[in-house]
Amino acid sequence: MLQLSFLPPFSSVLRAAMDLIISGQILGNLRASLIGLAIGFGLAVSSGVMTGLMMGRYRAVETMLEPFVNAFLAAPRLVFVPILYALFGVGRGVQVGIVFLSAFFVIVVNTMGGIQQVSASHVEMARSFGAGERQLLLRVLLPGALPMTMAGLRLGMGRAVKGMISGEMFIALFGMGALLRTYGSRFDSAKVFAILLIIVIVALVCSYAVALVERRLTRWMEPAA
Amino acid sequence: MGRQRGGPVIELRNCSKRYPSQLGQAAVDALEGVDLTIRPEEFVCLLGPSGCGKTTLLKAIAGLVSLDEGEVYIDGDLVTGPGPDRAMVFQDFALLPWADVVTNVAFGLELRGVPKATREKKAFELVQAVGLAGFDHHFPRQLSGGMQQRVGLARALAVDPQILLMDEPFGALDALTRRLLQEDLLTLLDRRRKTVVFVTHSMDEAVRLGDRVVLMTPRPGQVRDIVEVGLPRPRPPDLEKHPRFAELLEYLWQQLREMRP
Repeated sequence: MLQLSFLPPFSSVLRAAMDLIISGQILGNLRASLIGLAIGFGLAVSSGVMTGLMMGRYRAVETMLEPFVNAFLAAPRLVFVPILYALFGVGRGVQVGIVFLSAFFVIVVNTMGGIQQVSASHVEMARSFGAGERQLLLRVLLPGALPMTMAGLRLGMGRAVKGMISGEMFIALFGMGALLRTYGSRFDSAKVFAILLIIVIVALVCSYAVALVERRLTRWMEPAA
Repeated sequence: MGRQRGGPVIELRNCSKRYPSQLGQAAVDALEGVDLTIRPEEFVCLLGPSGCGKTTLLKAIAGLVSLDEGEVYIDGDLVTGPGPDRAMVFQDFALLPWADVVTNVAFGLELRGVPKATREKKAFELVQAVGLAGFDHHFPRQLSGGMQQRVGLARALAVDPQILLMDEPFGALDALTRRLLQEDLLTLLDRRRKTVVFVTHSMDEAVRLGDRVVLMTPRPGQVRDIVEVGLPRPRPPDLEKHPRFAELLEYLWQQLREMRP
């Protein structure tokens, strides 16, 4: 049986959004969400690029870590929420943890792929000019992998936002996810759609921010004018 | 690294290299017992059909390939890896696509820790010298093949090596561009005294450029003959009219034809 009365018209969604913004519920929760997102995504980028670099460069590291990376990439992230509860207690740690787990593995896989795609002749060229291993990693492999790494960051950002909302809905303590759950359990569909609308806008802004960084860093790939 | 008057001597002693069989391909004897001495400031061309080990030989001098047997000495010092006395120019240019012309030319200096201002000044000079003035901030993909190899050449010259190792540098270029780059290379080298080892499979190129042509046979890669070119330097523009030029081409062609499997 279809209960169409639960599908609110767009005007009431917008009105609900205004109400939520004016009452201050959005601001506080959005702030809580974005802080967790920034910390979790920041950690995922720094450690993910590092791990991908090592896996892409050293066969032994790849062999050792690849099964785990693949397993985590496929595993549903919410499975880890109870474990994160146990590790960090209910709070920021769980939220940051779930954002991290959502973004980390796709960044690893993309960076690794990017490193392995760097042409062997670039590596040989750098070695012929006396590059040491460290210079090879930082001056040749990492920049060469950049387009793939940045694609990983974009994918990772999308997953991070999704992970964050799901995680917050799970713990239902703070953040946009918690707000979503509160109004969801009240069957206040106008508020639910209003929050969803705001989440989508935030996700788009985050995604564009990453895309902007990507464009700046990979300008050399653009077709000649 | 001691520098003798007139540049270094390169000695290859009994060099052998075998690439083990893989993926259903038979093992390849890239080099077998190669002895060769390259004189100071000489321009030596390694000529032979593909698969004759000439690139392996060049990379052994560069210190990029480890030999199964034999040694390479430069001025009596055993080559164990790449060194600042050598710089290489690659067939596929191997320019960094994310770096502009100046940054590419300065790359060798950057790896050596030369400060940015100093290395860019040097790179700027070389960009001019190889005829790319005004293209300092172009990216490789915005340049033609010939221009890209000019960048490759400038990058090698920027580190001021005593030995220039060139691996079929003009092989990927059209005939016209190739001739222009050959001429410009000789002009550049007139003012910079260097030992050059130049791999090519073009007889014409070997004779135009080299002081000596080392003819190599494939599988196993061995030295078949060493030919003194004996054409005047600087090479005249109408080199093809020189009787010696035709004579050398004829001789090299005979030799290469006999190698045909």
